[in-house]
Amino acid sequence: MPMIELKHLNFSYEKNKPILKDVSLNLGEPGEDVVGIIGPNGSGKSTLFLNLVGMLKPTSGKIVVDGQPLKYHKKALNQLRQKIGIVFQNSDQQIFYSIVKDDIAFALHNLGLPEDEIKNRVDRVLEELDIVSLKNKPIQYLSGGQKKRIAIAGILVLRSEWLLLDEPTAGLDPDGTKRMISLIKQLIGRGQKIIISSHDMDFMYEVCDHFYILRDGQIVKSGRKQDVFLDDQLLESSKLTQPWLVRLHDKLHLPLYNTAAELFADQHLAAEIANLKKDKE
Amino acid sequence: MLSIDKYAYSNRILTWRPQIKGLIWLLGIILAFQPILWIKGVLIIVAVGHTLYAAHLSVHQYLKWFYAILPFILLSIIGIVFTMSANKQIIYYPIRLFGYYFGVSKTMLPVGLHLGVQVFAAVVCTYWFALTTPFQQIIITLKSCHLPNLMIEEIMLMYRFIFIFIEAFEQIYRAQKLRFGYKNFRLSLHSSAILAKMLFEQVMVNYEHMVHALDAKLYDGEFKV
Repeated sequence: MPMIELKHLNFSYEKNKPILKDVSLNLGEPGEDVVGIIGPNGSGKSTLFLNLVGMLKPTSGKIVVDGQPLKYHKKALNQLRQKIGIVFQNSDQQIFYSIVKDDIAFALHNLGLPEDEIKNRVDRVLEELDIVSLKNKPIQYLSGGQKKRIAIAGILVLRSEWLLLDEPTAGLDPDGTKRMISLIKQLIGRGQKIIISSHDMDFMYEVCDHFYILRDGQIVKSGRKQDVFLDDQLLESSKLTQPWLVRLHDKLHLPLYNTAAELFADQHLAAEIANLKKDKE
Repeated sequence: MLSIDKYAYSNRILTWRPQIKGLIWLLGIILAFQPILWIKGVLIIVAVGHTLYAAHLSVHQYLKWFYAILPFILLSIIGIVFTMSANKQIIYYPIRLFGYYFGVSKTMLPVGLHLGVQVFAAVVCTYWFALTTPFQQIIITLKSCHLPNLMIEEIMLMYRFIFIFIEAFEQIYRAQKLRFGYKNFRLSLHSSAILAKMLFEQVMVNYEHMVHALDAKLYDGEFKV
């Protein structure tokens, strides 16, 4: 079983100003394909991600990947980053070429793969992300949502076991968010393991199956949907809110639905509401 | 959004081989620098005419392209034709200044004007190339000239980041203008200083983020071009 374990990880840029405090996580447990790290701005989500891919080194504690503690020399880091791909929040900062297909191929050229393999992988990823039509487009004329897809494609070509997405819905319009949800579902479908950091509660509720709540650099709660979202007070004190589906359950005592589609497909509920309306009339 | 190279991606001669366009540009530059004046004149007319036709540009839009370079051309010509001398005879419209005569030099005026035409012809040719050749094609041209990879790499990155830089510039400038940062000369100076400082800071922050992104993509010191 592929695993990433964090053991009592501490991190700080300056002494006495810890960003991450005693963080312990087990990522990759069976049935936890999409792990969500939820926390408000400044809670340490991005710092945690940078530690996971060896770009920052923990002040103390350990990161163990597949039973091996992380090593920080170049070769080991190279291997780690083929195993764990990361897509950052700002797309413009991760796109270096002016033409879409050149940029997506960048990491593969760095790996030194043969040309036809590179071409194959790029074409595959373009199809998967439904962006074949952008292949030869210059980057600067793309929309934010399109750039996001290019940034993800540039990492997906590495075919890493793990995919880290830092705030993947930041700056996306509703359609972009919808596409992001279906992309993530499609990726899980083919066995991709994903870790997402975000404070977009409805989005996280819909796509993740295990959650960690991060507050001021500490994990204050972890578990599955029903474990983490029902404690409204904890969420509130972590500067977060309940997803609207959970609120319906918590405040109006409707059943807890996993997705909006599930709610609207509930015939029983629809019938009850119809009855209520009739009574009123 | 910037439209610097929008024309380059949608012009009538987009499908010409980039090497041919490169050669035509080179020929234009040679014609601009040869000594016979009337050839330069013809070159300017042909190049401007064809640029307008090929890139679907209006005269007004085309003239706007000269705003940026006109000050440079004018300054260099002014520097050449104006002179100071003790001899009144060699100067048109002499003005007496500190015991000397200041004005337009009789010998340098034709040289300056000739140079002006020359520069103008070269610029017009370069605009023709820039407005009809998308960046990808320019890279192909550079590669077929066997220029060093490092240089092409540099050009490629500059091209990519110039858009991000200009966008950042515009955003800050707009925000400042909105709050009356350019209301008078004194404020303008102050605001431009802040603008420069903010751009510099953003460059530093962005640099750090980009290093991370490069690491994630296993960058090894070389961009494939």
